[in-house]
Amino acid sequence: MDYTKSLVNDVKGMKIGLPREFLAEGVSEEVRNAILEVAEKYRELGAEVEECSLDVGKYSLATYYIIACAEASSNLGRFDGIRYGYRTENFENLKDIYKNSRSEGFGPEVKRRIILGTYVLSSGYYDAYYKKAQKVRTFIKNEYDKLFEKYDLILTPTSPTTAFKLGEKSNNPLEMYMADICTVSVNIAGLPGMNVPAKLDSNGLPIGFLLVGNSFEEEKIFRAAYTYEQNTNFRENKPTFKK
Amino acid sequence: MAKEDYETIIGLEVHCELSTKTKIFCSCPTDFGGEPNTHCCPVCMALPGSLPVLNEKVVEYAVKAGLATNCEITKVSKNDRKNYFYPDLPKSYQISQFDLPLCHDGKVNIELENGEEKVIEIERIHIEEDAGKLNHDEYGRGSFVDLNRAGVPLIEVVSRPDMRSAEEAETYMRKLKSIFEYIEVSDCKMQEGSLRADVNVSVRKKGDKLGTRTEMKNMSSFRSIVRAIKYEASRQIEVLEEGGVIHQETLRWDDISGKTFPMRDKEDAQDYRYFPDPDLAPIILTDEYIDNIRNALPELPESRKKRYLSDYELSMKAANIVTSSKYYSNMFEEAIKVCNNPKSVSNWIMSDIARILNEKEQEPDEIPFTGEELGELVKLIDDGKISSAIAKKVLEEMFENPKSPNKIVEEKGWIQISDEGAIKEIVTKILDNNPQSIIDFKAGKDKALGFLVGQAMKETKGKANPQLLNKMFKEEMDKR
Repeated sequence: MDYTKSLVNDVKGMKIGLPREFLAEGVSEEVRNAILEVAEKYRELGAEVEECSLDVGKYSLATYYIIACAEASSNLGRFDGIRYGYRTENFENLKDIYKNSRSEGFGPEVKRRIILGTYVLSSGYYDAYYKKAQKVRTFIKNEYDKLFEKYDLILTPTSPTTAFKLGEKSNNPLEMYMADICTVSVNIAGLPGMNVPAKLDSNGLPIGFLLVGNSFEEEKIFRAAYTYEQNTNFRENKPTFKK
Repeated sequence: MAKEDYETIIGLEVHCELSTKTKIFCSCPTDFGGEPNTHCCPVCMALPGSLPVLNEKVVEYAVKAGLATNCEITKVSKNDRKNYFYPDLPKSYQISQFDLPLCHDGKVNIELENGEEKVIEIERIHIEEDAGKLNHDEYGRGSFVDLNRAGVPLIEVVSRPDMRSAEEAETYMRKLKSIFEYIEVSDCKMQEGSLRADVNVSVRKKGDKLGTRTEMKNMSSFRSIVRAIKYEASRQIEVLEEGGVIHQETLRWDDISGKTFPMRDKEDAQDYRYFPDPDLAPIILTDEYIDNIRNALPELPESRKKRYLSDYELSMKAANIVTSSKYYSNMFEEAIKVCNNPKSVSNWIMSDIARILNEKEQEPDEIPFTGEELGELVKLIDDGKISSAIAKKVLEEMFENPKSPNKIVEEKGWIQISDEGAIKEIVTKILDNNPQSIIDFKAGKDKALGFLVGQAMKETKGKANPQLLNKMFKEEMDKR
């Protein structure tokens, strides 16, 4: 498939949904305004942009982190010091190799996710966490499916705020995970999405918007993103790097 | 309480390597042997980032196995990950099936020693990948991992605890082996590890509810399975009789000492954290797909048995033995095309061939000659060219130095003497030397004739035609 063919500077007649829940509490004023400006731009260019409802935010973070950590806990098993990854020098038997290689080799965030993932897959907790998360995942996918009956694309912020300082939230992982709130439901639903740079905030940090398409409809995303890019000058801006 | 008051309960989990050309999730060859780590690729070596793709043939073979064992086929199933750490498992999980096995609720009939039939129920058959192999260095320089076997497709056939003796367990496993050989989903070579079993054993006083079971893993010969079950059942009875309790545990059977030992690491009960493999799509089968496989199934042993009973009038015992192995049965069918003597061919298979294999501790697939050659051998007897005594020697020779029976007979000079002149000469000589036998025979002692024929056989090293000898001895004695 030649995706360059979908780089067409035209969004006339395209229907874009703008879920109000993604612009509500928790989203910074500057980000919200930027997204509303993007919506206005698309209207100018001939697309139909309509406010709609996609009320999945309150489940998507928990669902995502259960499923993603479960998969990661299993996927990362191969870094056991036998065939792949770091091997401890400190061992007397096989169990030591496993335990010490993994304890010494992995960083704190990886360990946190492995432990979380192992927990939600454990017998006795599987039904309450992993299985439930898979059911919620189906619910989220169904909610998106309903919107795609009506809209070609969904427009949301990519992140509720601009970038926080390096290391600022390392001691509060839950708050850090909140930064993913807008994107995780897209991953859970298995849909294609694209971040498009839109604006700089008052501190000169970039704000992006997210275009989400239906399964196998990446062309619409490319087309809408390309049209935005061609009709704005944002791509000429360069963000500043602040210490 | 005596041992006889107890009953042994056995269930088997039989692992059978499928004979697909390529592995279950990649296109590496499944061939046995080969230099270590030469039959592997990023997928079966679990390189980070590599992704599995299910081999369609594996599903087909497993469905075949399910249909041949009267299973229901699961139309929507999936692959699950079984997570555990072991050096022979590079991904740290085995892709298997957990709650939706491809086949379930089947059964096979086995024939017991007393001639009765018994149904052994199959709980489930699922597909999974084999692990690699650890080679432990005999000089203590450590252990080495060979991943040639990693990703070879397996089916695991789980029986219900329906067997009541080691012999029943052996018969059941032989039956499975035979079925899988017939439908050509596995070569079932135990010596190459392509057929193995985990054996679950418990004992109970007759009429009681099921006792606690122990499991012996990875048993790969019929002999050790039978020995291990017998040993483990009497060990459990002994423990119970002394007032002890049986712990549910995994045991290791040691073939040399003939005993079972608890495996280490009992303290941490494994939690495999099964979950659906997110890298693989669900397996969805249509009725049409299943029916196509059903219709393409080759003739199964049950049906061959019926045919042998009605068309060739074999005895039940003969029909059972001949159909017990695809190799026997195919040999039988090839042989009767040459000699047209089903009864004689079945006798050779049941008696001498089975005996020689037993002595050599070999299986029917290791017979070094063809069915045509067996037919040729029977034809040599039927045509009066060799006696059955000589034929036995020819058969031994066919096992030792495989050649066509005609050639063996010719080279060894074992062609039967059927020339009347030559026979008459021998008969005359024997009669001259044994006047007492003539008197005995004339006095009505039939045994004397047998003695004379025996002498003539001895004289000719078994090469004289026995019918002709009988006839000529009678004629010559009448003349005297």
